[in-house]
Amino acid sequence: MVGIAHPTSMSNIEQLLVAGVLIPLASFLILALCGYRLGKPLAGWVAVLAIASSCVLSAAALVKWHGLDEAGRLAARSAPVLWAYLGSVPLAFGVNLDSLTLIMFFMVTLVSTCIFVFSVGYMAGHSDEIDGLSKFHRFFTYLSLFGFSMLLLLIADNLLLLFISWELVGLCSYLLIGFYFHKKSASTAAIKAFVTNRVGDCGFIIGLGMAYLYLGDLSLSGAAQAFAGQWQTHGPLFSQTFLGLNLATWMGILLFCGAIGKSAQFPLHVWLPDAMEGPTPVSALIHAATMVAAGVYLTARIFVLLTPEAQLFVAVIGCITLTLAALVAMVQTDIKKVLAYSTISQLGYMMLGMGVGAWIAALFHLLTHAFFKALMFLGSGQVIEGCHHEQDMRKMGGLWRKMPVTCGTFLVGVLAIAGAGIPAIWMPNHTPFGLGGYFSKDEILAVAYHRVYGEENVAADAPVGRGEAEASPHTGNTAVVAGAAPIQNPKSKIQNAALPPWLFWIPIIIAYITPFYMLRAWWLTFMGKPRDHHVYDHAHESPLMYLPLVVLALGTFFSSYYLFRPLVADAAPTPFLTAAFDGEATEAADAHGLLIGHTTHAALARIVGGAFVVGFFVAWVLYRRGLGLAEKLATALRPVHVLLSHKFFFDEFYGLVFVGGTMVLKAVSYAFDKYVVDALVNLSALVTERLSWISGTILDQGVVDGAVNGVGRGTWSLGGLARSPQVGRIRNYILFAAGSVAVVVLWMAFA
Amino acid sequence: MLTIGLTHYLVLAAVLFCCGLYVMTTKRNAVGILIGAELVLNAACLNLVAFSRYRTGRLDGQIAALFVIVLAAAEAAIAIAIFVNYYRLLSTIDADEGRQLRG
Repeated sequence: MVGIAHPTSMSNIEQLLVAGVLIPLASFLILALCGYRLGKPLAGWVAVLAIASSCVLSAAALVKWHGLDEAGRLAARSAPVLWAYLGSVPLAFGVNLDSLTLIMFFMVTLVSTCIFVFSVGYMAGHSDEIDGLSKFHRFFTYLSLFGFSMLLLLIADNLLLLFISWELVGLCSYLLIGFYFHKKSASTAAIKAFVTNRVGDCGFIIGLGMAYLYLGDLSLSGAAQAFAGQWQTHGPLFSQTFLGLNLATWMGILLFCGAIGKSAQFPLHVWLPDAMEGPTPVSALIHAATMVAAGVYLTARIFVLLTPEAQLFVAVIGCITLTLAALVAMVQTDIKKVLAYSTISQLGYMMLGMGVGAWIAALFHLLTHAFFKALMFLGSGQVIEGCHHEQDMRKMGGLWRKMPVTCGTFLVGVLAIAGAGIPAIWMPNHTPFGLGGYFSKDEILAVAYHRVYGEENVAADAPVGRGEAEASPHTGNTAVVAGAAPIQNPKSKIQNAALPPWLFWIPIIIAYITPFYMLRAWWLTFMGKPRDHHVYDHAHESPLMYLPLVVLALGTFFSSYYLFRPLVADAAPTPFLTAAFDGEATEAADAHGLLIGHTTHAALARIVGGAFVVGFFVAWVLYRRGLGLAEKLATALRPVHVLLSHKFFFDEFYGLVFVGGTMVLKAVSYAFDKYVVDALVNLSALVTERLSWISGTILDQGVVDGAVNGVGRGTWSLGGLARSPQVGRIRNYILFAAGSVAVVVLWMAFA
Repeated sequence: MLTIGLTHYLVLAAVLFCCGLYVMTTKRNAVGILIGAELVLNAACLNLVAFSRYRTGRLDGQIAALFVIVLAAAEAAIAIAIFVNYYRLLSTIDADEGRQLRG
């Protein structure tokens, strides 16, 4: 995109997006300043109106964008506005206008609108009083700020602006997770989320500093160009190494650290389950549209700055995360915790996708996931609200009679996350049918397969396509990629090397576990016999809350088929860098990946095509008669169950190592403070006291006062001497007078 | 033949002065002190007259002596007025009783 003279004034599309960002900000300001007067539920509708108009604007922008050709799209980008110089590095803020921004913008605003509407219904039934005053508007104030921050993050074309909005998102999540801050668990969860994110952001800001130092350009496109330049000239980023890895890899890993925190990747995933302390719509917002999406979005934006080693790091982190989270999700009994761990697991898939070069697939998964995860979270919110804040699935069951819409839409989400679908090879017209994860997750797996086993293994099935009519106009990129000969990078250790096979096989196994735990959650909640009649009898659902569910269910379906994947493919990073680094990754990252997707999907169909059937079946067998069988199994596999239900003891481990370590450090600092610092302070106090004694008692009292008193005493005794003749007897006075005269006379006589 | 000259007058005046001084210093009675003061004044007058007679030959000394006598009268009047008040205050005219002047 660089090198083309962009118009200086904003294009229509950019104006639409900027307005879309500013409207939630305006709503935030209105609610923050006079939300209290708007009261309940008007304050909520203000926020809904704002985000809905953003959604409409972004839809308009999307339609306009869809109608433009390649040249028109380039022309729509205006030059960024120069804000300031940071040293010699210009800070120019502009709109990062490409297909990814637009589609993400649309997804975020649409999902947020659903969540905001749901929130109006949800918060109506929740206590929002603090010290007897209704703080209803506070929730929507934060939500508006959250929406604004996330949208700003999406349009940021600059790493610094990205970081600013990144931190705003973090702040909003803190405020919202701790919304019920008078509850101890909520306030600690908020602090945990905030602190855990700070750990990741620490890496991010170091990476930002490295980008500033070595690349000298913080705009996304400029940084990518500088990065490519460094590689070509073998600049300091590539020639200098630290701990055996070159600085470019370190920069990528450090920037990715921010995404580890925000997207709750191992080892910083611990905050996300605790974030369930916030109101359920917030969980939906964090898990679907905003917070965790930000991490994946960041990784997508810095993808061109990742070396193969850094990509491997991303893939390994993603793989570990998806495994751990899926295993833990199997045994959770809190409906929101199951969803939380499934989110972490799905984010692991996205990161794995990023790491193996499945850029498009990972973002496609992010988009589909946003819909079905928001859907399921709002569904769980409806359940929790309907069951009077009962979150334990063991006490639910049979709710489908009371909540048919919630039950049905939740099932759509379950099917989507499980990757349910019928592969093309088993369909008569070779057109696959499936939902969400079937396309997006399997594409990630396909690319991973491709990276592990190479192209030749899958090439045989090449003619089998998925038949996405929408995608065909955009496969033009393939030619560019195929023509770019992979440049060999001597420094790269894993150049063109196949990835370790476990990066493919573990996600495959987890793909069997995902349907299991999701159906388990659904079955325990909605199916079977009611286990707690108190909960069951009061269960109900309300239209304000289930209508967004229907919209999201439609969105899940829509996002799986139309518009979303082709638009993401449009935005795939220009191949010059990926080609430079890794020919394999190039093919995977580009529209060519679609071809791989087609071919590998066929191969994968035999491996995971039936995963959801197996997972569902196992869950059904285990839970169709209530909890009895599962409890027997848990007793039989007691050590495993304990390990999983305690979430691999991560919290305990962190509690022991980090919190305990901090405590030890605290004790050491306390001892140091008490015995060294205090001793020094006391010593200096003692010295000062002695000195002041010397100055006071000896110098001041002895010398100064002595001098003053001496003068006084001298004057006194002189006065005494002078007064002693004045005895008061007149006769003596006469005698003195006469004597004096006599002396004077004698003196005059003889001198 | 003894010629009475200046020296005799001066000696007499000196004796007179000494007597007056002695009386002033030894007498505790205020009136006695006043009498002593008169003696001293008269000794001074005698000196003035003697010097006038033997040294200048003019009447300056006599004139001064006359002034001194007038002043002495005035002084006596004031002094006695003071004594009256003194007596009223202390019921005595013993000068040693008036010790307020003591420093």
